Amino acid sequence: MTAGTLDSEKLFAARLHAARARPYLATALFALHPVESRQVPTMAVDRHWRCYVSPAFVARTPVEELAGVWVHEVSHLLRDHHGRSDRVAGESGLTGRGDRLRMNIAADLEINDDVFGDGLARPEGAVEPATLGLPEGELMEDYLRLFRLGPYTQGLVWLDCGSGADGLERAWDLGPGGANGLTEQERDAVRFRVAQGITGRPGSVPQGWRRWAEEAFHPPQPWRELLGAAIRAAVSGPGAGEDYTYGRPSRRSACLPGVVLPSLRRRPPRVAVIVDTSGSVSDAELGTALLEVAAIVAAVGGRRELVSVLSCDAAARVVGPLCRAEGITLVGGGGTDLRRGFARALRARPAPDVVVALTDGQTPWPQVRPPCRTVVGLFPRGRAGRSWDEDDPDRVPDGPPSWARAVDLGGPP
Amino acid sequence: MSESPLEVAAELIALLGDTATEPRADPQLEALTLAVAADLPVLLWGEPGIGKTAALTQLAGSLGLPLTTVIASVHEPSDFSGLPVIGDDPAAQGVPMAPPDWAVRLARAGRGLLFLDELSTAPPAVQAALLRLVLERRVGALRLPAGVRIVAAANPRSSAADGWELSPPLANRFVHLQWKHDHDVVVRGLGGTWPRASLPRLDQDRVPEAVAFARRAVCGLLAARPALVHLLPDNEARRGGPWPSPRSWEMALRLVAFATAAGTSREVLSMLVRGTVGDGPGLELLAAMDRMDLPDPEAVLADPAAAELPERGDLRQAVLDGVVEAVRRRPDQARWDAAWVLLGRALESGPPDLVVVPASTLAALRQAGWDIPPAIERVAGIVSLSRRADRAAARVAASGRGR
Repeated sequence: MTAGTLDSEKLFAARLHAARARPYLATALFALHPVESRQVPTMAVDRHWRCYVSPAFVARTPVEELAGVWVHEVSHLLRDHHGRSDRVAGESGLTGRGDRLRMNIAADLEINDDVFGDGLARPEGAVEPATLGLPEGELMEDYLRLFRLGPYTQGLVWLDCGSGADGLERAWDLGPGGANGLTEQERDAVRFRVAQGITGRPGSVPQGWRRWAEEAFHPPQPWRELLGAAIRAAVSGPGAGEDYTYGRPSRRSACLPGVVLPSLRRRPPRVAVIVDTSGSVSDAELGTALLEVAAIVAAVGGRRELVSVLSCDAAARVVGPLCRAEGITLVGGGGTDLRRGFARALRARPAPDVVVALTDGQTPWPQVRPPCRTVVGLFPRGRAGRSWDEDDPDRVPDGPPSWARAVDLGGPP
Repeated sequence: MSESPLEVAAELIALLGDTATEPRADPQLEALTLAVAADLPVLLWGEPGIGKTAALTQLAGSLGLPLTTVIASVHEPSDFSGLPVIGDDPAAQGVPMAPPDWAVRLARAGRGLLFLDELSTAPPAVQAALLRLVLERRVGALRLPAGVRIVAAANPRSSAADGWELSPPLANRFVHLQWKHDHDVVVRGLGGTWPRASLPRLDQDRVPEAVAFARRAVCGLLAARPALVHLLPDNEARRGGPWPSPRSWEMALRLVAFATAAGTSREVLSMLVRGTVGDGPGLELLAAMDRMDLPDPEAVLADPAAAELPERGDLRQAVLDGVVEAVRRRPDQARWDAAWVLLGRALESGPPDLVVVPASTLAALRQAGWDIPPAIERVAGIVSLSRRADRAAARVAASGRGR
């Protein structure tokens, strides 16, 4: 092999090894179109799923490490790092070259903490969260906030995964018009097939990829919006809150004698908030969620004295109307039985229009549907405690019942 | 005699309004046009102020339809369900539900583009009244003629702080299109040149073929995946958006037929289909259509030397796997030989690693008494590639670096 020519057999042997070690990524790996390039320091991708390869890098890197680089590069594309980088750049004005380099590093951190191992070698010099003293398991956007360029990152400046990783066009990019690129629809189709392959494969896929597959086409939405929409829908539906009613004539009736028109009438909704005060929910989480509920109810026309708060663990205690509950200390701890909380909330007269339960879901639920709308805000379990029970990790408690609208409070705020 | 300040202002305004247009491909406008041509109600989701109304004006102009804008959120339910008018003897004649003036004008014109703006900020009762308008084209006692097309607009949940969400039945009646502004278009437009999209034209000769293709695509998918026929949104994040039901699948079928007859890109079709039945089912339909484009394994086996292999690696792999699978299902020497010819061709025209798995599967299908075909020689090269990958795997396992 003369110096400078691409050893394509080595490159493809590496891809074959990568596809065997990660069968669920095979579709994506095979969809990548390799392009020989002397300008690329190592290997780099663009957003059109071309993979630029330096012949010198292939010559000096062992097959097993090349396989790791293949998986690393395809991960940038599957996780849409270029699109996410563009969004971050657009939102926060991080458009300089240094910022794009930071995005590249942050994207690498997101990938590298869980793609290697289990038959796939870690390439020499792959940057990891530990290299920069950062926690594992975060997303690119989070890492981006956690470090600046400095002495620790000096050694990483050579690193360049191309425009597919950080959205910044490179000199070697063939651009949208070049040959063998994938269109946006084709990229989505490949990502979808990979995601489907992962969700349809029980067991063998790591948690990080599983989470990616679940969220690939439905990124988690900010919980404030979802909770807001759920509560708004609950308090504004017929029978509660604001709607049209024939109970009182419309203002327009004056110009249409003899015609009965409905009018828009507002009856401030009564909202009962049941707060799960068992040990597993932190005070900070609770405080944020409670304030959020109060703000939403106020926005839809509720008055604060119509919002009552109940704290509930194994028993239910009325904490009182929210207006008197500034700085309330929520009492409780230990196990939860939300059934008591529901019973207590529904006993109130006048009855609530809406019950909002804020809980971590570790509770039995009422067997029958309550006679009012129900919104459940679910706190995430701690990061480490994704499995509920050390001895029986498969045990998952019953989810909220289907008659309640459940919102995960775990996503971004 | 100097002009009055307002005249100068008018002159200045006229000069600012003096803009040119240039042709520019715009997939979202193309998708909107196609859905409107297919007579399906469209719902544009977009932040306020990004030019949804401007796009509608352009669309109405290019279709030659008068535009009627109705701001849904400032109307009452009776404006859409009809205002009751009591006659002399209600018991004998009943109470007719009189339509509002804009509906009467639309009905009289016989055609037009009805734009229902700010749908997501309309109260639930108004949305309920709109159901009938969108589905049955009825406003009170009046039925809007077939020449009227309906487009609605809504602000996404993130920017509509005081908005209600769309009820699932109403959401199911629309083709949902995400409306985004294109930075380049805005900058160039403010500089005086706005884009002029070329609108898709339906090709009359392709109409029967388009219908057959659309039916085959949708029915083929739903026959294999019955669970996709009806899936109410189970997730809070997906509420108010598109979801699959027999109604929305019928809309998807129509859109596939229109897109085929118009020869539009997959990009545009992807927007339309995903906006009708939702992302997951929509992507499955598109993936099924991609597979329909792949060569039929039986045809390939009949003439492997003439078969066209796709350039894209993942699709090429799907063809090779399909052919090997066809041999496995009905093995005989001739088919086995033909598959080897195909693998040899794949090796000459594309990356070799794709051929390894099909080749080893095919080799394992050999039955006693079958001769080794000459074509197998050409595939011998991949053995060294495969060994190289094996050795790498062994090194990873031995060094423990894979831990």
